[in-house]
Amino acid sequence: MKYILNILMMNTMKAGAGVPGWPKKDLQAHIAFMHNLNKELRESGEFVSAEGLSFPDQAKLVRAGKDGTLITDGIFPESKEFLAGYWIIDAATPERAYAVAGRISAAPGPGGTPLNMPVEVRPILSGPPPEML
Amino acid sequence: MKYILMMNGTKADFDGYAKWSKEDLQRNVAFMRAFSKELKDAGVFVATEGLGWPQEAKIVRADKNGEPVTDGVFPESKEFLAGYWIIDVESPEQAYKIAARASAAPGPGGKSGSMPIEVRQVLSGFADLGI
Repeated sequence: MKYILNILMMNTMKAGAGVPGWPKKDLQAHIAFMHNLNKELRESGEFVSAEGLSFPDQAKLVRAGKDGTLITDGIFPESKEFLAGYWIIDAATPERAYAVAGRISAAPGPGGTPLNMPVEVRPILSGPPPEML
Repeated sequence: MKYILMMNGTKADFDGYAKWSKEDLQRNVAFMRAFSKELKDAGVFVATEGLGWPQEAKIVRADKNGEPVTDGVFPESKEFLAGYWIIDVESPEQAYKIAARASAAPGPGGKSGSMPIEVRQVLSGFADLGI
């Protein structure tokens, strides 16, 4: 079964602030941790994909107007959580997906202290249910 | 440049969707399939996924010993990612145009839902963060 592990960030995160404010050595340790985890997931055959997204100040909300015209908006409530990045893994059980999410949660932050950040875990659907087709 | 087009919704939005008639659901699913095929034919398709419903979501944190602690309680206002497309296009404008197509997916009674689509660039690596 495929699971998505979502890392969320607050609207207040801006390019050039937040994580980039960490000392270089802490950032390198964080990135090395992520690279090692990806390598491990590839070796175990559980890795499906992973992406990092640009910061919230780059986000646009797009809607189709009545006649199909394009409406873009870049204003979001302060409370909105933004997707920072995700992994999709193919895990044998939900518990295994939670264990991998726990590893990601403990990624090293400033001074090498585990971040213990929240990671949202949900199954990925293989397709719409038959009654919708 | 790769862009992600995200559909987000609160639990109430998901519950509303679950109440659509079978015919409306079928029309919506048919639109989504045709849309993905069109993106493939145009050579801009990278990936698409639909996610499990909010009831299936867990928040996982590592405790002091690095063990996972799960929690399934979320504020009513929380927006959940419902699904996404990743496309590879030349400009943000092209990404917005494609997002508007997804936004106009048929809703109940076949009317355009005008669903909001969040569009952001996907990074090719940590270097893109400028760090």
